Amino acid sequence: MESTEKIKKSRLGNRVSPMTNIGINALFIMASVVCIAPILLIVAISFTDEKELLVNGYHFLPQKFSVKAYDYVITAGDTIWRAYGISIVVTLVGTLLSLLIICLYAYPLSRQSFRYKNFFAFFAYFTMIFGGGLVPWYMVYTQLVPIKNTIWIMIVPYLMNAWYMMIMRTFFRTTVHESIIESAKIDGAGEFRTFFVIVLPLCRAGLATIGLFCTLGYWNDWWLPLVFVTDNKLYNIQYLMYQTLNSIQYLASGSAQFSESSKVIADMPSEGARMAIAVISIGPIIFAYPFFQKYFVKGLTIGAVKG
Amino acid sequence: MFRTKKITILVLAAVLAFSLALTGCTLPVAPSTGGPTGTGTTSPTGGNEPEVELKMYVVGNRQEPDTPKVLEKLNPILKEKINATLDLNVFAWGDDYDQKTNTALAAGEPIDIVFTANWAANYNVNSTSGYFTELNAYLDKYPAIKEILGEDFLNGSAINGKNYGVPTNKEKVHNWGFLLKKDLVDKYAMDVSTIKSIEALEPFLKTIKDNEPEITPLCIATMDAPFQLLDWDRISDDDVPGALYSDNRGTTIINHFLAPESIEHYRLMREWYNKGYIHSDAATMQNQLELMKSGKYFAASQSLKPGKDAEVIASTGIEWVQVDVTPPVMSNRETTGALLAIPAGSKNPERAFRFIELLYTDAEVKNLINYGIEGIHYNKQADGRIEIIDPANSPYNPGHGWKFGDQFKDYLMSNEDPQKWEKFLAYNDQGLVLDSLGFVFDKTNVETQVSACKNVVQAYYKQLFTGSVEVDATIAQFESELNAAGIADLISEMQRQYDAWRAAK
Repeated sequence: MESTEKIKKSRLGNRVSPMTNIGINALFIMASVVCIAPILLIVAISFTDEKELLVNGYHFLPQKFSVKAYDYVITAGDTIWRAYGISIVVTLVGTLLSLLIICLYAYPLSRQSFRYKNFFAFFAYFTMIFGGGLVPWYMVYTQLVPIKNTIWIMIVPYLMNAWYMMIMRTFFRTTVHESIIESAKIDGAGEFRTFFVIVLPLCRAGLATIGLFCTLGYWNDWWLPLVFVTDNKLYNIQYLMYQTLNSIQYLASGSAQFSESSKVIADMPSEGARMAIAVISIGPIIFAYPFFQKYFVKGLTIGAVKG
Repeated sequence: MFRTKKITILVLAAVLAFSLALTGCTLPVAPSTGGPTGTGTTSPTGGNEPEVELKMYVVGNRQEPDTPKVLEKLNPILKEKINATLDLNVFAWGDDYDQKTNTALAAGEPIDIVFTANWAANYNVNSTSGYFTELNAYLDKYPAIKEILGEDFLNGSAINGKNYGVPTNKEKVHNWGFLLKKDLVDKYAMDVSTIKSIEALEPFLKTIKDNEPEITPLCIATMDAPFQLLDWDRISDDDVPGALYSDNRGTTIINHFLAPESIEHYRLMREWYNKGYIHSDAATMQNQLELMKSGKYFAASQSLKPGKDAEVIASTGIEWVQVDVTPPVMSNRETTGALLAIPAGSKNPERAFRFIELLYTDAEVKNLINYGIEGIHYNKQADGRIEIIDPANSPYNPGHGWKFGDQFKDYLMSNEDPQKWEKFLAYNDQGLVLDSLGFVFDKTNVETQVSACKNVVQAYYKQLFTGSVEVDATIAQFESELNAAGIADLISEMQRQYDAWRAAK
């Protein structure tokens, strides 16, 4: 009797007052609107007639509906679709490899029995603080490991991420108790078997979280192609978009001091077409979210306890 | 624990040594700027030299899909003439080109020819950093380029008397003026020949304001403002204070944003703004051309040259009348506006130079790179002018004409004035050669002041250029912030360098 009352009381104690509840909800509704509105606007612009855009500016409801922008995207030929394909391949391969490598590094560090774990933890931590600088980094991938202008250049530099590795290590440490590993050992499992059959399935939430980070990282990346890729067949979709927008912005800013700049801007894809590219580039990644969401909250909260 | 520490130190030392070794790789590249003195034995005909591939980086819209086809056609010609083939890479404007080119230059990659300018793959910075090969010896050995460009223009692009790049032979001067919307000019029978100054535009703006409620008389966005018609001979970037008068009247560098003429101009713009001649959102607009396309504006300030109106008509789809206001001048803007340079990392600088020479002397090579293949990418008319086949979807329409070589060797397009090049040449001859031509400001000593002043200018110029704010209060604030940003040091450093340069000349 006494104890159930106590539980009830403590539940009541945890409940927020209605006013606070409304306040918190309102706050998050506003935050959501701020995030969603621009995306809706982009979609709306991509469906608006070009002339209408120039004269009347942006509107959430297209004043004059048109699918001409998508026409451009589809007929612009294989450039966009190839870039799309590159993005998908890079994201898939990159995420899987990256997860594997991060886990393989993080797992030993999470084990008490690993002797050099402090050294290797420091080794990873060091890279978070100090970098070699752009030019030496560039030379590593062009001269030491010549993978410039191959698809690998968009995968390899992001394979290992010290920060994700640390989250993963903490996740291993808190989710997989040493005694589980011990019992596996007693049952005759080797290190690899323990890792792949016992530890990884237990850590699905962590894998999903880090996996999502990696997916987003690879999908949204335009920096690696910007620095390394000179072969236009290897451009990914984000880079294509970045390149177009950046060119227009640059030319419009008047920094390019040549008299033909106005003519060049006129040849650029129209506003609508740019938005259409943006819309299709959101495409697959938006589907990744619900897939990961199941694990996401759990993975994040646990990962947040670091040390 | 002790052992780990030891290992850590060892690894750190190794990492450090390794990264030092890596950065060291760039060093041997720099001194190889000796010119052709060592290679003087090779025969100029190229008969005995081994075939090489020349890698070229150019800025543009995109790598045109038909580039391989064009190169397939071009390479046999190059092979015969200089026993080389071309690998042409086009990267996009702004960051894309700058990032790729600058990193490759710094890493000493073997690129043979790069496009450079005061606004792309920064010519001054890369030249003074030793990333470009000095070309004077080549220019003497193969004199064709010197003859075509003329000493004046070529010297204008030299840094401390050394040429690190060869400028395109095109319009060598600039002037400023307005473009007016043609249908309105016709409607009100305006006599545009009376517009010889900014103020003279006012009656026309008034006509539009009074009679055309739908039309905004004057279109302004960012630096595309009537302020440009004051035509300051700027020492550094557009948004860095420090300029000379563009009529050679003195040698004292002043802060042109707060010069009496400029303040007078701000007042005029304020007056126009209050009268409703300028759109109220002008200070936040980004792109003048986009605005002009909407057809809701009557006048826009522009940098001009012969046939500018036709060009803007093509890109906006609206008819414009060109009104030249300021006299043409030859300034650093033009001499370093578009050049080709040979990176220090190039293994075949001489061959690269001879390829560049072909761009000045060989119309076939120039036009092939510029327009593609006859019959596939363009058709030639009886009068020698050409028509690009389906320009909007053309697989090869890179618009390279003004980027390298001799633009006067380019075919004219069917919608262009057949006299275009003659007019260009006449225009070039009219230009006043500024005393400051060839002076290059080296920012290194005042880097912080430059960027601080830049920030201040960026924060104020739009309001002042568009008349959106009260002039007196704003300039007082503008001035005090510029002073805090160290403008005095900046101007005196500019003056010091300019005086030293003039003394050396």
